[in-house]
Amino acid sequence: MANGIKDKVAILAMGCSRFGERWDVGQEELMAEAYLEALSHAGITPEQIGAAWYSSHYDDIGAGKAGTPMAQALRLPNIGVTRVENFCAGGTEAFRGAVYAVASGAVDIALAVGVEKLKDTGFAGLPPASRGTFAPMYLPTHTNPGNFAQLARAYGTRHNISPGDLKRAMGHTSMKSHANAVSNKNAHLRKAITVEQAVNAPLVADPLGLFDCCPVSDGAACAIVTTPEIAQSLGKTLVLVKAIQLVASNGWEVQSSGWNGSYVHTARIAARRAYAEAGIAEPRAQLSFTELHDCFSITELVTLEDIGLADEGTAWKRMLDGAFDADGTLPCQVDGGLKCFGHPVGASGLRMLYECWLQLTGQAGERQLGNPSLALTHNLGGAPAQNVCSITIVGAA
Amino acid sequence: MTGITALAIHLPRLRLQRAAMAAAMGWLCPRGEARGARTLAYWDEDPITMGVAAARACLAQVPQARTAIRALTFATTTPVFAEPQQAALVHAALRLPEATRTQDVGGTMRCGLLALHGALESTDPALLIAADMPLNNPGGMAEMRYSDGGVSALVGGGPDLLTYRGGASLSAPFIERYRVPDRPLATDWEERWVREEGFLDLVPRAITEALAKAQLSAADIDHFVLPCVIPGAAKAVAQAAGLSRAKLAQPLDLECGDTGAAHALVMLARVMEDMHPGERVLVAQFGQGATALVLEATDAITTFPAAASAALAAGVTEGNYLKLPIFRGLMPWERGLRGRFPVNEALTTAYRNSEALLGFVGSRSPETGQVQFPPSRLAVAEAGLFAQTQQPCPFADLGGTVATATADRLAFSRSPPNCYGLIDIPGGARLMMDFTDPEAERLSPGDAVNFVFRIKDLDERTGYRRYFWKAVAAPAPSAAD
Repeated sequence: MANGIKDKVAILAMGCSRFGERWDVGQEELMAEAYLEALSHAGITPEQIGAAWYSSHYDDIGAGKAGTPMAQALRLPNIGVTRVENFCAGGTEAFRGAVYAVASGAVDIALAVGVEKLKDTGFAGLPPASRGTFAPMYLPTHTNPGNFAQLARAYGTRHNISPGDLKRAMGHTSMKSHANAVSNKNAHLRKAITVEQAVNAPLVADPLGLFDCCPVSDGAACAIVTTPEIAQSLGKTLVLVKAIQLVASNGWEVQSSGWNGSYVHTARIAARRAYAEAGIAEPRAQLSFTELHDCFSITELVTLEDIGLADEGTAWKRMLDGAFDADGTLPCQVDGGLKCFGHPVGASGLRMLYECWLQLTGQAGERQLGNPSLALTHNLGGAPAQNVCSITIVGAA
Repeated sequence: MTGITALAIHLPRLRLQRAAMAAAMGWLCPRGEARGARTLAYWDEDPITMGVAAARACLAQVPQARTAIRALTFATTTPVFAEPQQAALVHAALRLPEATRTQDVGGTMRCGLLALHGALESTDPALLIAADMPLNNPGGMAEMRYSDGGVSALVGGGPDLLTYRGGASLSAPFIERYRVPDRPLATDWEERWVREEGFLDLVPRAITEALAKAQLSAADIDHFVLPCVIPGAAKAVAQAAGLSRAKLAQPLDLECGDTGAAHALVMLARVMEDMHPGERVLVAQFGQGATALVLEATDAITTFPAAASAALAAGVTEGNYLKLPIFRGLMPWERGLRGRFPVNEALTTAYRNSEALLGFVGSRSPETGQVQFPPSRLAVAEAGLFAQTQQPCPFADLGGTVATATADRLAFSRSPPNCYGLIDIPGGARLMMDFTDPEAERLSPGDAVNFVFRIKDLDERTGYRRYFWKAVAAPAPSAAD
């Protein structure tokens, strides 16, 4: 009988490249930047890595298909490298593969790397993704801002929030993340903004304005995982995997009219399962901080409710009250989040875990929180109506 | 004797103001005529979509006739494709019986009336569709006068609105306008010659012969329909043909413009609103000869809907002349990277799913009653696994309700912002759909929508275009709904 992943695997070390418009490097260098940092913290040699998982979303403009781009970029010792792609949850998917490999006993040490080189595409925003031959014949030409703008309108309508109040709450969400990123040397956007700037920015997809949208960035992040015993033997502060849950939409939201569009169905399921796996009964009291998939400001607000950190219809008020600021009761995106650290699609899940690892091992520098013990990361790949949602919980022993 | 059992038009909602056209091009080509407006097909409308819209409205007048139809003719001078046959696409969109003879006709703006003449002389129930969007040189008079629109007539298959009394079609190598396949813009000859040697010679002779076939005299005609962009020519023809008692049909030039192959029947649709039982109308059109048809109103004419007047009145004022050359692909413009994303049509996929894509047919699960799109082997159901049991469920006439909506300024569109959202369809189905028409941005959650058949994507490299259904505000702005 399966009993979940809790406490079976430890994060040995992590690394993260500087995110941003990295005109100076390609995806190989980005991967190496993250990997070499992780390796330097891990205290192991490459030959000790038994298997690797590699996440990259855009194979046509990025590093290419299969496992070889990473195996070559990192000169891995002829081990198995599995490329995974699961929209914006790809980084967490790579992490899940590595963690499951260690938990199964198949390998002692496993590697997960996520990378995306978006600024070689020429696009502002994410490039259009291929969707097979059939879907483009009937689906609209949509963008991610357009998909999440629908979430914002439905959320506002469902909870009777005035457009002005919702804009201010979304503006505060972004203002908070900008403030958090100022001291983060790896972040893409490091300038503080005001709520007024966010509210008055040009519209991208009504009602989302420019500051409601995260940037698209170049970047890579890396995790090396192992057993708690090996981590302890190497003298590491234990950061244990408490839960990993991943939920894919099955078509119910997008093809039947049961869902009202104001929340993310998969996130609610993933959160419930993750809390059960981690043995968390009171997430608001037990979690120290979160790294949510704030691809858009509205996503962060809705997710806070979906994963039980705010009552339904109230996250916007609590956001305006500062509950999720760095000095609030439950800090959210202390590293700047997707909004300001940046969003290289295939790397983002691992970037969130990087911040968790820094915080839980006391290495977060200026943005270090006091005595954090339990952290949650969340990714949402795709659109609110059709997506892959992942939730990972990590914590001290 | 057979006759017309239903007739409906479709006019694009945009009304391009002639004053705006003159303001844009008058410095180069000074024109005195700048009154009124002409219709302008939206970027996702073409003869196929306008024809489908008109035919849906036409079939809605006699719903039981759909299964009786044995012939479908699609008439246009501005075909979308040299190959494939457009009538086959229209046939699929209308979900007509498989055993329907389909054909395209064109070559002259008279092609629609020629096809109607053929149908009226036949005994098979037939659907005729004429839709056109004539293109002319920027700044010219013809560009102002011609316009975009469609019409559909059902012949047989039900009680007549108009009974056919007789008709004639004459052929002549009179070339007043020409265009070769690789050039989109037509060239017109001097209009005095067209009036004197063309209209005033050929049309009266066709009328005389049609009256003879109908065993009627000119004095028996109550209404006279003759589209002609040359001012005064129709009146002169009426006089020359002795139609002194007949009321001359309005050319609709100020509200609509001349819709080419569709226009004789567009004008007829408007005339039929005013006809009384027993009145006779003579419908004529010119083009490499002339056709004249005599039709007599039955008692059923009193039930004919005033949909043409409604469509003429449902316009949206457009003051930007450049939308015409941009929508018609006549001038390059900066599309951005998103506009360069390729449209790769997999013809295998398109055919395999043609009933869903062209006919807008989803499916219904008999176990749960749940409706869905696209159809699939496994039903969308929270209740359990239901496989291989779904039944076809046509969506086109169901309409729906907006669940979510956005106006997206990042997505590529030929008329930004790109508007779309989730639509709930009766039976529990939901589909993310494009919103279209000039007022698409107004659609909000809770609004009722109808579905219209439109261009989905254009492949700039090959010229291929694909079609699907989109949502428009209900009640629909056109006669189609």
